[in-house]
Parts: sequence; C-alpha cells; structure tokens
Amino acid sequence: MKKRKPVRLGRTADTAVTYALLLLVAFVFFFPCLWLILASFSSSGSIYSFRGFFPSGYSTESFKKLFFDTAMYDYPKWFGNSLFIATMSCIFGTLLTILTAYCMSRFRFRSRKALMKTTLVLGMFPSFMGMTAVYLLMTQFNFINNHWGLILIYTAGAPLGYMVQKGFFDSIPGSIDEAARLDGATNFQVFCKIHMPLSMPMIVYTALTSFTWPWSDYILPKLLLKTKDKWTVAVGLMSLGETEFSRFAAGSIFIAVPIVILYLCLAKHLISGNVAGAVKE
Amino acid sequence: MTRNITALVAHALIIAVLLTALGVGSLARDDAQGQTKFTGELERNVTLRILENDTAKEKGYFKELLDAFNAAYAEYGIVAVDANMDQYTDLEQDGPYGYGPDVLYQANDALMKYTDGKHIQPLPVEKLECYEQISQQAWDAYTVEYDGEEYVFGVPVNIQGPLLYYRKDLLPEGWQENWDREGDGVPDMVEYWTELYAYSRLLREESGGAKLGYMKSLFDPYFSSGFLFSYGGYVFGEGGTDTGDIGFSAGEARKGARVLRQLASAMNQDCIDDTVTVNAYSMLANGTYFATMTTPDVYTLFIDELAKEYMRTDGLDEADAYARAEENLVAADIPKLPASGDLEDRTGETVESVMMGGINGYAISAYTRAPNAALAFVDFATGYEMISRRNELLGIAPAREDVAEKVGGLSETINADLDAGRIAVMPSTRAVAQIWTPTQTFFSDLAKDPFRLPEEQKYLSLDELQRGLENVDAQIYSAIHTLN
Repeated sequence: MKKRKPVRLGRTADTAVTYALLLLVAFVFFFPCLWLILASFSSSGSIYSFRGFFPSGYSTESFKKLFFDTAMYDYPKWFGNSLFIATMSCIFGTLLTILTAYCMSRFRFRSRKALMKTTLVLGMFPSFMGMTAVYLLMTQFNFINNHWGLILIYTAGAPLGYMVQKGFFDSIPGSIDEAARLDGATNFQVFCKIHMPLSMPMIVYTALTSFTWPWSDYILPKLLLKTKDKWTVAVGLMSLGETEFSRFAAGSIFIAVPIVILYLCLAKHLISGNVAGAVKE
Repeated sequence: MTRNITALVAHALIIAVLLTALGVGSLARDDAQGQTKFTGELERNVTLRILENDTAKEKGYFKELLDAFNAAYAEYGIVAVDANMDQYTDLEQDGPYGYGPDVLYQANDALMKYTDGKHIQPLPVEKLECYEQISQQAWDAYTVEYDGEEYVFGVPVNIQGPLLYYRKDLLPEGWQENWDREGDGVPDMVEYWTELYAYSRLLREESGGAKLGYMKSLFDPYFSSGFLFSYGGYVFGEGGTDTGDIGFSAGEARKGARVLRQLASAMNQDCIDDTVTVNAYSMLANGTYFATMTTPDVYTLFIDELAKEYMRTDGLDEADAYARAEENLVAADIPKLPASGDLEDRTGETVESVMMGGINGYAISAYTRAPNAALAFVDFATGYEMISRRNELLGIAPAREDVAEKVGGLSETINADLDAGRIAVMPSTRAVAQIWTPTQTFFSDLAKDPFRLPEEQKYLSLDELQRGLENVDAQIYSAIHTLN
C-alpha cells in the first residue's frame, strides 16, 4: 500500500498567514489607486458628493473635460511640457551620470578621492536648499519661464548621484578592459563595446530614475515656470479649482501612464541584465 | 600646484564671463523699465500683460474686456493680452526680473504690500473717468501717506464683503407663519443670527445630523473676525495704520467670540478647518447645508453647482436648471447680531453685523515698459460700460456707485454697508500678513471647543474668551514688532 504523504499543518498555516499578510499589504497599497480611479469617473465632479467612500454616480465626463475643455486648464499642453522636460533630462542626465560613474570607477587621477567625497557630500543636501540661488542664476541666464532652464538643472544635478552606478562598474573585472586594450581597443571602444552592454541594467535603472524625478517634481517648475502655457502637469494640477476634484483625479491617473510605459519597455533589459552571467553554462 | 590654481582661476573666469555676458541683457532690461512717468503720451506698438482672476476668465468677461480694449486702441498699436499666470502670482518675486504682469487685478491687501518695495506705482487717479464715482472709503484702501503726501496705488473695481448665501427652496414649509415675526416677507433665519442658530439646531436635531443649517469654516479669520468687529474689535488702530495697537480683543469683542462658539455648537466638526470652504458649493447644492457665508465673486460657482445638481437629480435641461438655480439661490445681507452676544437671546436688542471686507482693484507694475498704455487700460476697464458688464457676468458688487445704483440689490447694499462702516476693509499694510496665523489658531481652537469633553472645554466664560483674544493680540504684536 502506498504511504500517504503527511499533511504538514504548520507549513500550511505558515503559507496561509503569509498570503493573507501579502494580500492585506497589497490591498493597502492598491486601495488608494482604486479610489482615485473611481473618483476620476465621478459624475458630480466633486469629492463631497460621494455616497460614503465612493462616488454616487459614474461618467467619463472628467476625462473629456481633461483633454478637450482646455480654456482654463490645458492639461494636454502641460502633459506635453512634462514629457519634453522629463525626456530631455532623462537622456542628458543618464549620459552624464553613466560617464561620471565610469570615469570615477575606471580612471585614476589626482583629486579623484577628494572629488568623490565632495560630490557625495553635495548630493546629501536637499535640492530646495539652493532655490533662491538657483532662481537668481536662472534670471541671469534668462532661463526663467524656459523649459531648458529646468532641463539644465535636472541634468546638472543628476551626476551627483553617481555612486550606485560607480559601484556597478567596480563590480566588472578590470581584466576585461585589459584584454580589450591588448586587442587594440581605445578607451571609448572599451566603454561602448564592453561596459555599455554589460551595464544595461544599470543604464535602465539610471534612465528610469532620471525620468521620474523631473516628471513628478513640483517645487522647481513652480519656482521657474511663470506662464500657464509653460507649466508642467504637477504645477497645473495643483492650480485646479476647488470644485474640480474629478478632473484632478483623472489627471493624476494619466501621470502614471508614461512611467508605466517606460517601465514596461525597459523592464526586460533590467531583468535580463540582472540574470546575465549568473549561471555558468 | 600651479596647474591646479591656474585651472581654478580659468574656471572662475569662464563662469564670470558667462554670467556677465548673459546678465547684461537682464540689466539692460531693468534700466529700460525705470521709466515710470505718466506723461499722458501713449506708448505705441506695445503689448500689455494683464493679470485677471480666474472667474473673470471662466465666465468670458476677460476676453470681452481684452477684445474691447484692443479694438479701441488698435490705432496706437497697443495690445492687451492675458498674462496667463496664476491669479495669485507674486509681483515682488517676478517683477524685478521682468516676468511679472504690467497690470494686476488683486485684493487691496495683496496689492498694497507691493508698495513697500515700490513694486507698483502711484497713479494719477484723478485723471480717470471713474474717479468721481468711487467712494472715498474705497479709495482709502489704496492710499498711502509718504512724507505728508498722499499717494494712490490702485483703482477699486469691486467690493468684497461677505454675504449670506441660502437656498430659498429649503426654507421650511409655512415659514411665513412661524419664521417671519415682523411679517416683512424676509425669513427671520436670514435676518437674525439668533434665528439662524435656532433653525440650524432644529434642522440638525430633526435629521440626526444629516442636514445642517448654517455652515462655515469658522477658523477662517476673514469671515470670523467680523463677529469680533461687530462688538468693538478691530485689526489695527488709527484706521488700520497703527500696527502697535492691535484690537482683536478691544471693546466687547469677547461677545463676538461667544457667538462663534455657539454657532460651532450647531454645526459639525467640519467647521474647525477648511473643509466647509471647499465643500460648501456641493453641500449647498445637494441640500445638506441650508446657508453659508462667502463673498459675492463666487456667486457663479454656487449657481453652477446647483444647476448641475438639478440636472442630475431632477433631469432638467441646462437652461431650466440654471433658471431654477438662480431663482432658489439667494445672496442676502449678513444677519443682525444680538446686542447681548448670546444667540439664545431671541427677543433682546440687536446690533448690525460688521464684517471684514476688501476692495479688489487694478494696480500698475513699476516694471512696466508702457505705464501710459497701462493707465489707459485701467481707465478703460474701470469705465461705466466694462464695470456694468463685469457685474452682469460675474455678479460682483461694483465699487463704482453709479453702476451699483443702476443694478441695485446687493451691489447697492454692499456699497451702503461700506459707506456706513458695516464693512471693515482689511488694512492696506504689509503687517496684515501677520494676523492670519494667530487668529486662525484661536478661531480653530474656539470652533473645536463645543466638541471637546465637558471637562476639557476652554472657553466657557466671557473672561476665558477675553484672555484668548488678548493672547491673539500679543502674538500678532510679537510677530510684527519683535524683529523691528
């Protein structure tokens, strides 16, 4: 007779409790998103006409108003402005951060340590500490109410956070570089043909973070962008009137769209990079 | 070492050259902006950036104004455009760098704070067509004395005095018999605070808290200070100019504080913070609130919400819904207060309510390149026709007495209130900025008091209220004068 496998009660209970906890945590994080989505479909437009916690009626009116009723609140324009600033900052910021990290990791030069320490300390200061100075500098550069002023600030600030990328480059054995150089590769070729492909996960991570910061930032655009046609989504949404909650909710949902798309497009690089070379076949 | 120093100096030089070269443009622009004389000769081919409020834009008034002005001044090449900025934009921050508007429409306290840094310029107002039509009280809000000379920095457009908004269709059935003791056709609950208090309590009790009578964010000093002023309180002495004399506790202001506490007891806890300010539009529309107090410029927002509610619940078409909303939403003068300062005293003497108000108006930036054209715009926008149109579209109470007289109703009442001192205009001094936090803290604490456990309540007697108000005065005094 075949012996039945004993049911391990302790293990089952452990699994059940773990799942229950995970579901609870997931619900806690998911619920605000669900509420916001439902609020964006509220037919009344106001948060105060909800029946209990949820809207009393649903319609797509808020979304229509968001994209077509642009006389007072030009959401499509703000969305385009945010996209432009975030994309440019992402491209230039990623390039500068990766180059900085690569230099610090692979080259030895005088004052390298001092520079590393200085940037580390500078990077610890919150960005809003220098707001007044930034504003005055931007007035001198005639960069107030100009998207390129913001791009300059985001791009210039990005390499200060190069330490994570440097750590990644440090983990790539130096012997690979030496082998390439023996084969006649220049520094640029070593970077482009060896380090870049190996560092794809880190480049993707850097690009994602370089995009999300300017995309969701409020303080700097509020300080530097004066006219409504130059505003970003964050500044514009904060200016919505008191009776426009559904439009605010609808606008907030669309904020997530580019980040989700970017993540979906780049996620495979992030994962394949992480596992590449993990197993010797 | 020498190489390092050379590199450092070279970097510093490059930065200095860049900043100087790029900065020359801005400095040159600043010099050009120094021409602030009103010579009477219109600058030609200039663009004026006008800052207006959002309601004027939403309702289409601003576009009408710009179109009319641009047509009238086309021969000079003067074009007025929307500054396209936040309605509360700060000229102090943006003006000196050339990013502010040329003409601004804001409240008198917001505009007059710019006089300290000379960000707005004194105007030759006697040359304007509206000069004779605006009351001295309204001009006073924009007048400042320097070295014995009086300068006027703004042109009044409309008077912001609180009004009581209520739903006529929510009045109790048979109110003429039970709630109109004088038989004057005006419900007692919108004529006397004692009756409104009684009606609010009745509504709350009958509905188990689902329906409320009068609701307002009591923490808001703009609306709550008036209760103190009605019993002798004031902001600053000497007509708002002596910041050493702070008078929130003056006279019998404590009675006003008691009225506020009693009103809070007939509301719910939403009155403690900003909740009612933002939800009043919806709550009045869906019938949860019977009445609230706010300024005339948001009349159209209430109408919009009420019309939407009628369309949603009663299936009316847009035109019918708006007609019904306009019929049922009433903006009335502020009710009278009991002389005793006790809302339970329904038969005693009454006193007129004195409420805090403001005068919204136009000012001209000191950084404008075309002061004469800007003055022409202000003259045009404050003319009889445009102010009449503004009243028609936005429901504001015009500062021009001829327009107020013509339209009558509340516009005339508010002008009369201003003349009679029933509207205490916010002092036009920078020190006003220091009154909000201490008063908000006190009013918030006061509104919370009825909701505390009996043993924790802090403002049960007039003496306790007096001490609270004196504390507010002391805090404001410290805020203004500690660093001076």
